[in-house]
Amino acid sequence: MSGSWPVAELDPVRRLHVLASAISGAAVASRVISAPFEQVWQVAGDLERGLGTFEPDMRSVRVEQTESGLVAHARSRYGFRARFEVDLRPGWVWMQSRFLLIGLAAVPVAGGTLFAATGGVRVPGRAGLVPLLVRRANERALDRLAARFS
Amino acid sequence: MNELVRAAQRGDTMAMNELLDLLTPYVTRICGPIALADGPDAAQEALIAIFKGLRGLREPAALYGWARAIAVREAVRVARRSRHTVEFEDDLPSPTDLEQAADIRDLLARLSPEHRAVLMLRDVEGLDERAAAELLKVPVGTVKSRLFRARDNFRKAWSS
Repeated sequence: MSGSWPVAELDPVRRLHVLASAISGAAVASRVISAPFEQVWQVAGDLERGLGTFEPDMRSVRVEQTESGLVAHARSRYGFRARFEVDLRPGWVWMQSRFLLIGLAAVPVAGGTLFAATGGVRVPGRAGLVPLLVRRANERALDRLAARFS
Repeated sequence: MNELVRAAQRGDTMAMNELLDLLTPYVTRICGPIALADGPDAAQEALIAIFKGLRGLREPAALYGWARAIAVREAVRVARRSRHTVEFEDDLPSPTDLEQAADIRDLLARLSPEHRAVLMLRDVEGLDERAAAELLKVPVGTVKSRLFRARDNFRKAWSS
């Protein structure tokens, strides 16, 4: 065949909207950050040194490669500990602990980087988040991240 | 894969993430030829419909067939929403036409979304006419006519 069939693209930000749509109570915050994707992702994709600078309540994070995949041990400002399963790749972070969920996605766009965030406190036993303040929490995370590049 | 679907249905978002990895290439391959420039919107909306409906899927082994029907439906719907001029409503290219086409995208753009769906199901998914008709919820005769009518006219138009 001399031509090839067109294939649709699903970028990481669209991917985040897909997963969030299937999680009750989840909200996606997004905005364009005025910095190149590489610079933004250098911060957002660095779970140990970058994530805590903009995600609320993340005081320290230690990442460990295990046989079953990447694991992050996090401690909040209030001393709570969480063990996250992690999927980390360029433009994409998906982290789930027993009680928490964090999803981040980024794609290069004209004028900088489109960045999206979702997450919150999980409802046990189903794909759901406690809907309290999730939108504001994700907006605050983006405020902090954007401030690093302003 | 059955266990992965079950885990996703139970609300394990890591399993949902992994399942999305499996389904994305399949859904984007279906949505691309039908929705063309609207392919990313179609793929996103199809996957949203799939994941929203996942808990209702009783038999995990039926995942791909179920997802295919949703993807085709969403791709046609999204393509119709922003549909532009369609020149050849009833003329579908044969596999030979497609092999000779330098740009399949350009050729597909001359067809309606419904015709692109029939073509994709035949040439990408390898479905026979009966299976395609069942999936599209149209009579087999309609699929046949969409596939075979006025092929000569299409060739003339394509080569002009």
